[in-house]
Amino acid sequence: MSACFMFLRHFARQSVVPFVHHKKGASLYKKGASLYFTILHRHLSSRTPFLFYPNKENVPPSEKIDLDEWKNTMKSSLPEERSSLTTSEDTLTMTREWIEMCRMLNREVPEHISDEDLKMIAECPSKKSKKKKLKFLYIKEKHKKARQEKQARKRAEKEETKKQKQLENDEETENRELKNSFLLPLQDRAFKTEWDWRNAQAMIFGQPLVFDMAYENFMPERDLKNTVCQLLESEGANRKDIDPFHIYFCNLRVDSVYHKELLNRYKEKWNTLFLTATEKSHVDIFPKESLIYLTADSPNVMTTFRHDKIYIIGSFVDKCSQPRVSYANAKRLNIASERLPLDRYLQWEIGSKNLTLDQMMRILLTLKNTGDWEKALKFVPRRKHSGFHTNSINSKNFVKGSQKHKLEIKKSFRKLSLNSQNRGMWWKDE
Amino acid sequence: MMTLLLSFCRSLQMLWKNRLYPGSSPRNWTFSVLYSYFHFSKKEQRYFSFTLPFQRNTKATNFLISQAISSNKNDKDTSRQESSFSPHPLFSAGTAKKKSELLGYKKDQQHYFPFSRPELLPTKPLSSEEWEKVKENFEQKNIFENWMMKQMIKYNCSIDIAKSLLSWIARKNNGIVEYKLLIGYLTLCVSQRQTAEIIDVYEIMKTRYKTLEREGYTLLIRGLIHSDRWRETLILLEDIKKVMSPSKKNYGDCIKGALLHREMNLAWNLYFEMLNHRIIPNWETFQAFFDFAKGVKNNEFERRLLDILLYLRNNQMYPNEPFAQSIKMWFESIPEKKWKGESVLIHKSGQCLACGRMLESIHLNSEEYEFLKQRVLKDVLDGGDQYRKTTPKEINRFEKFIKNCPPFDIVIDGLNVTKMFPKIRESETLLDVVSQLTKQNFQVLVLGRKHMLNGSSRWQKNEMTAVQNMAYCFFADNVSEDDAFLLYATLHSGNQCRFLTRDLMRDHKACLPDEKTQHLFFRWQQGHQLVFLNYYPGKKIIFQSVLTYDTVIQTTGDSWHIPYDENMVERYSYEVPTKWLCLQQQN
Repeated sequence: MSACFMFLRHFARQSVVPFVHHKKGASLYKKGASLYFTILHRHLSSRTPFLFYPNKENVPPSEKIDLDEWKNTMKSSLPEERSSLTTSEDTLTMTREWIEMCRMLNREVPEHISDEDLKMIAECPSKKSKKKKLKFLYIKEKHKKARQEKQARKRAEKEETKKQKQLENDEETENRELKNSFLLPLQDRAFKTEWDWRNAQAMIFGQPLVFDMAYENFMPERDLKNTVCQLLESEGANRKDIDPFHIYFCNLRVDSVYHKELLNRYKEKWNTLFLTATEKSHVDIFPKESLIYLTADSPNVMTTFRHDKIYIIGSFVDKCSQPRVSYANAKRLNIASERLPLDRYLQWEIGSKNLTLDQMMRILLTLKNTGDWEKALKFVPRRKHSGFHTNSINSKNFVKGSQKHKLEIKKSFRKLSLNSQNRGMWWKDE
Repeated sequence: MMTLLLSFCRSLQMLWKNRLYPGSSPRNWTFSVLYSYFHFSKKEQRYFSFTLPFQRNTKATNFLISQAISSNKNDKDTSRQESSFSPHPLFSAGTAKKKSELLGYKKDQQHYFPFSRPELLPTKPLSSEEWEKVKENFEQKNIFENWMMKQMIKYNCSIDIAKSLLSWIARKNNGIVEYKLLIGYLTLCVSQRQTAEIIDVYEIMKTRYKTLEREGYTLLIRGLIHSDRWRETLILLEDIKKVMSPSKKNYGDCIKGALLHREMNLAWNLYFEMLNHRIIPNWETFQAFFDFAKGVKNNEFERRLLDILLYLRNNQMYPNEPFAQSIKMWFESIPEKKWKGESVLIHKSGQCLACGRMLESIHLNSEEYEFLKQRVLKDVLDGGDQYRKTTPKEINRFEKFIKNCPPFDIVIDGLNVTKMFPKIRESETLLDVVSQLTKQNFQVLVLGRKHMLNGSSRWQKNEMTAVQNMAYCFFADNVSEDDAFLLYATLHSGNQCRFLTRDLMRDHKACLPDEKTQHLFFRWQQGHQLVFLNYYPGKKIIFQSVLTYDTVIQTTGDSWHIPYDENMVERYSYEVPTKWLCLQQQN
């Protein structure tokens, strides 16, 4: 201890003090001193490093400050007296009050809470689930508020421009002519009709793409909703494509949660959608040889997009810790399986290799139209990888796929992906 | 300048640490651990060296390792003696931490030096005008009060200063102080144990608010237990229960309050209520019971304390060091019985060095064994969906194979063992290991995958056929998991069978349904997993000794053996403590 102290003192004299003296800057002195103080206190004593209040000398020894004054006011400021904290009321009001108190501490709880949500919170089994639910509601409320504010702002802006226009219009209204235009403004509807035509064609001649809906029991309700969101998104992407797939929703049982949720989201549009929803399994509809199950757990890597095959995507948001569910399914039905060549093209960094359904859909669409892997894998989220392999072979060479070339690829891949991707390689062996 | 200072501080910290914990880990012991992880670290380096940008001191590590080897060669006697006390190379407390330190984790992450400067923090109570001045110097005016309160809590200011802050705020604010600030003030009072102030704040809260939230209740309970009004903490506890279940801290504080005021029955009732709600008490709570029991002479009380120890035994909990001290003190304080406590290491044969008694065996009894076997088959290998880890066809093939073979002595995880030595051809390593083991007349089973047979530069066909001639082999599909087969084959062969792998099998343990089964599995694993002590292909195989005794609190009536966690050792969840408290009655 004393040795340390000596050392420090020596050090301080040697370095801090001369430094300060040389510069003679007031601010520097302060900084050095505080540094010295902090170090001294951190390491040699448990005393807290207060700095002196700057005006200390100027203040006259003031009259005694009444320290307990606030207590009296706090106690007396409320007219009604309560005997104790306890009030015999039902849990819901208690919970509401409790949430209110949490809000006073700036905890992440919502300001307004509906009775249904309150009931749900009161019924949550654990503290953690309560906290999570409250945080979810809090964030939801915050988003809603932000949206409303934005809307109000926009409305105000619109009205202002309207007023200005009106003022201008009043002046120019007499000398205004009708415009000569080529089209009536009907663009949206025209697009929709065009898309519908294309999708109707795809229903007859298009390549099938299957969404396997057999994973209902593996997901909690929250994930199920996310899955349906992703399905909607991917259906939308497909509809707008120049050469859409013919989408199949297989294993979709009527009155299952999936079906209900889809109906709920699509409403009356559901019956006019250009896709095939069926209760049958994909193995019953298509020949087994032409089916390929896409799953990240597959040992086989997809090299090319084949136009004569039928790809299956499991509509499954895999947040539960049950690995290899979809691969097990493919094995059970004895279907070929493939995974995307993510490691071959991308320098993978974080995140799981499971992509969302809409990302898969966009990748497959791009592959179908161009066959270009680099273009297709642009849809992989940027946060997950740090870029494409620089000397990666373009897809055409890859399709030719001479054995020698493959080896070279492997070598270059090994060289490039010495970090985390490597694990993807050796899991096979261990 | 700055960097100089920083590096200086760092060295100072290190100096400090070394002074603080002198000889907590004796030289030789450290080296023996280093040594046993020699191969491990080599392998790990291969995988991690490129992912860890901050691992700069490979050279230093290598030097350490080489030094470890040489020192181990020089004084073999000491190393042998040491190794006979470390119960299991993989599962003894602290090894994982040492390994991670050896690999250079954490070292650089730990050093940070906060240059926080509480420049605005006053040293004495200020008047309102003075507070206004301080506020002027602060940039973000709207959070000033809360920020100041936080700083005061951080640096544990005297409560007079906090009071002056509050009275300034109250004057500004028509005599109203926000709840948040009140909580801050209460935190300060509780940490300084200003009981009178706590009661005042309690009164204020009672008048102003109908209910509080969790933090307020927790602080009030913690503060009030030392006062005369400690009984009101029970009311507060009831209030918490209306919204959610109280935490172990809340219960612990109430129990402590009851014990402080000699209300033993109340304390026990709270304790049992806690257990009924499946809340696992804090170590402090247990310790409080033992500490307060010293003066009490009561058979009922004594029995209940022993029940606590049995509760710990059933839940496989290991006391921490202060609690172990309390247990020892309590036992020694019982008059007439003359207990004597000692902290000891256990010899690897399972003999306590202090009293010479043998500890409980780690081996499962036949009923437990059969149960574990069924569970492994059902939950690990099958897992509800046979296709996930393997296929039904393969399970059939495996079962037929197992039935046709005699019981094995050693089951080898072929891939795991061969991948330990990256510089040597896999099939060569396997052949060497298998031939050495079969020479000792062991029945060996090698588990692997089919790709091992295909013949490549790493897996030579002639060596693989040689292996197949010497030992039984089972090759699973390339996409199946072979670990599950390994576990089942070992369990099927009976108690004498061991398995050789470096895998800790944590993922398979997690497949088991409940904690009881998981612990059975862990016990079985400790007693049956083999690890090389010091092997490099071509040398003679020596295994680390497996555990023969169970690390759990145990009694023979006139003696207790209690494993506990040492203060300085960081134990990972899959490790067991090495230190024991031996208590025996002297006649």
